[in-house]
Amino acid sequence: MAGKIKQMIDTIISQRAKDNAMLAGVIKTKLMLKGIDPGKFTPQSPDDPAVIGKLEILMKEL
Amino acid sequence: MNIKTAFSVKPEPQEAVADIQSQLKDFDTRLIIFFASSSFSPDLIALGMEEAFPCAETFGCSTAGEIVTGKMLTKSVVAMAFNKKSIKKAKVEVMDLDKESKRVFNSFQRHFNKPMAKMSPKKYLGIILVDGLCCKEELIMDKIGDLTNVTFIGGSAGDDLKFEKTHVYANGKSYSNAAVLALLEPATEFSFIKTQSFCQLPKKLEVTKANEFTREVFEFNGKPAAIAYAEALGVSIEEAKKRFMHNPIGLVFEDEPFVRSPQQVKGDGMVFYCSVKEGMELSLLESTDIIASTKKSLDEAEAALGGISGIVNFNCILRTLELGQKGLSDSYGKLFDKTPTVGFSTYGEQYIGHINQTATMIVFK
Repeated sequence: MAGKIKQMIDTIISQRAKDNAMLAGVIKTKLMLKGIDPGKFTPQSPDDPAVIGKLEILMKEL
Repeated sequence: MNIKTAFSVKPEPQEAVADIQSQLKDFDTRLIIFFASSSFSPDLIALGMEEAFPCAETFGCSTAGEIVTGKMLTKSVVAMAFNKKSIKKAKVEVMDLDKESKRVFNSFQRHFNKPMAKMSPKKYLGIILVDGLCCKEELIMDKIGDLTNVTFIGGSAGDDLKFEKTHVYANGKSYSNAAVLALLEPATEFSFIKTQSFCQLPKKLEVTKANEFTREVFEFNGKPAAIAYAEALGVSIEEAKKRFMHNPIGLVFEDEPFVRSPQQVKGDGMVFYCSVKEGMELSLLESTDIIASTKKSLDEAEAALGGISGIVNFNCILRTLELGQKGLSDSYGKLFDKTPTVGFSTYGEQYIGHINQTATMIVFK
């Protein structure tokens, strides 16, 4: 399977930033500091369980 | 004036507190943030400030040097007082670093009657002061960032480079292995400055083996970390050890570096003042002009807000040391001579995450 990480990142950014570009930048930075570079993931990126686990924790806090 | 600063270089805590109290005697202080040299007894300075300002929330921490309007100081206490016209509401809480952070956030939610997740980052701001020797800043900032969009900014407490014990203060008490979190609803606009004086060099170091909890990197680019770092600089390991302050590394995102400063070579690995995670691609950085870059950041903030009424500056101790070595401490202090300012030399800075060799600042309109 592929593309789940990109999908989760997009969901987190859109739910938390709500079209606020400045906030979207902050959330991307938070992801970078967690070791998840949002720019590196595409719809073709493999579903790495370790990254998905980190993102699931973040989504639960929403 | 709705934000006012005071400072004292009197050596005894009671005298220093009385000095600060007298400088603020005609001011309706509702919130006070103070930074005190480790030369003061932590318990006495915390209690003294609380008793001197009974109508105010008081919080602060120990330092590795203090900053006040126009000056960089040592062995002093510096304080910034806010009245009702500058801060509408404030709540100060203490977080035990061995316990769950949600209690603190629940308290904020009750006080402001709003879930932290729903608070607007334009309306609220958070200040964090944390035990500078706890090595847990990344975990705390990561958790805070998950729970809210409100910006928490601050610094890690210092102890004048003794590296023995640091303290945070809240409402009359002193704490170690703790963080003080203050959630504020300012009455004015505010913004933040994150400024570091580095340019990015083309060499990349990918973390291939690390322990993020001990802040150790064992390998960069599949090679022993110290060797890879020295090779990136084009020097021997012995020479590379002398370049830590001049050439830290950084996680660069959209041209903005989040600096990770090397602390020591350990075996053939490296220990940093900030954690790095496996898989991170880091850039080699080179120091530039602290005075020029800080001035530029201050000018930009002033232009964006249309004026500044107060600044709280969390300035890395490594920047303070570099300024001292270059004879620029007075010049740095003078950058802040037109605006009420307090700050301190930190053992780490917080803004979105935990960073090094940076000044993070709150700027009030």
